[in-house]
Amino acid sequence: DSTAGTNSDCQPCPCPGGSSCAVVPKTKEVVCTNCPTGTTGKRCELCDDGYFGDPLGSNGPVRLCRLCQCNDNIDPNAVGNCNRLTGECLKCIYNTAGFYCDRCKEGFFGNPLAPNPADKCKACSCNPYGTMRQQSNCNSVTGQCECLPHVSGRDCSACDPGFYNLHSGQGCERCDCHALGSTN
Amino acid sequence: LPTAVTPLPPGTHLLFAQAGKIGHLPLEGSSMKKEEAKTLLHVPEKVIIGLAFDCVDKMVYWTDISEPSIGRASLHGGEPTTIIRQDLGSPEGLAVDHLGRNLFWTDSYLDRIEVSKLDGTQRRVLFETHLVNPRGIVVDPVRGNLYWTDWDRDNPKIETSYMDGRNRRILAQDNLGLPNGLTFDPFSSQLCWVDAGTHRAECLHPERPGSHRALEGLQYPFAVTSHGKNLYYTDWKTNSVIAMDLAISKETDAFHPHKQTRPYGITMALAQCPQGHNYCSVN
Repeated sequence: DSTAGTNSDCQPCPCPGGSSCAVVPKTKEVVCTNCPTGTTGKRCELCDDGYFGDPLGSNGPVRLCRLCQCNDNIDPNAVGNCNRLTGECLKCIYNTAGFYCDRCKEGFFGNPLAPNPADKCKACSCNPYGTMRQQSNCNSVTGQCECLPHVSGRDCSACDPGFYNLHSGQGCERCDCHALGSTN
Repeated sequence: LPTAVTPLPPGTHLLFAQAGKIGHLPLEGSSMKKEEAKTLLHVPEKVIIGLAFDCVDKMVYWTDISEPSIGRASLHGGEPTTIIRQDLGSPEGLAVDHLGRNLFWTDSYLDRIEVSKLDGTQRRVLFETHLVNPRGIVVDPVRGNLYWTDWDRDNPKIETSYMDGRNRRILAQDNLGLPNGLTFDPFSSQLCWVDAGTHRAECLHPERPGSHRALEGLQYPFAVTSHGKNLYYTDWKTNSVIAMDLAISKETDAFHPHKQTRPYGITMALAQCPQGHNYCSVN
């Protein structure tokens, strides 16, 4: 209040880097009006959309606002790509998932950090006849599906040598060929 | 510096969102009165994306991806209120049907288009299939049509349906990149969209085949609104509001807000509603 006539009429803005502020007429609340790039909030205590951190340390140690860290597995045309306090990635693409879009989502396998999107995460495509409880999930790195007894292959689509009838859905059955009448 | 809305002077204004605030920029004819631009509403804890205006009650509506929620405030002054906070993922585009008193929005996380009354009641999912990144949405209340964009990188498209969800069909899908925003001008019945992939604005009369035309050289358009022969779009490259004249196919003016962050939704706050009525408004 510059009209009261005391030494403390004008006080410095409580804003980072001496940036400007204003007083809300009704509530007398002081609000920063020109927060540094990437920050926002009444006291520049929040990060802008597309950034994350805790610039004033309101929830722990001070962490400057940084761009969302999602391993290039977000789309720059999307909004709300990460939680602005924790940095948790919220809009992973290329079939990735995880806090930093750093793993393949359920039902996919491969290398989520591969530079080429086509090489990142591929569908498990487990064979329903050869898979335990007809699962569609697989090892997220190797892509190995969980096969029924005597079933083999990454996607559980083949019988072990000497076994047949994948389509039984119970695992493959022993051929039981007579040793004398068979070539192998 | 309002945390509640200070009443706006009469006349036509542009309203635009900049995450934690909504700014207003008065228009005089087609020119922007930049020296009179002010903050309409300060909500730093929110990230406001979509904006729409109800010319009947003089209310501004917004989508907020931080809570997420949908809220509104009267331009006559007063506190903002939240009308929807349940079952939202990433609500982005927003449209007001001022005749039927309905609100339409896109949700790019739940991949849905929904509708409710203006107070958030009688909510219903209109579409939840064949949507990847739905964003911009507008209505033509007089003819009962809904239009929206989907910036799916594998299959970007502009779609349309009746406002009740019937007769859904693709209006455009060739030569699109990232169609982010669209606008319908009730006076010329022209639909225009802006594309951050092709850097173009494209316009057509939905009921007149062959009326398609394009304007080149946009930078990174996010949302767009129209007024007569002018388009106004928010731009992520320059963090500004840019005016374009459709008659001469040129950028005519640019407004750079004091705060340099990305601008999102933009809408026209008209002093009076366009003429017209529809069946839903009487039934």
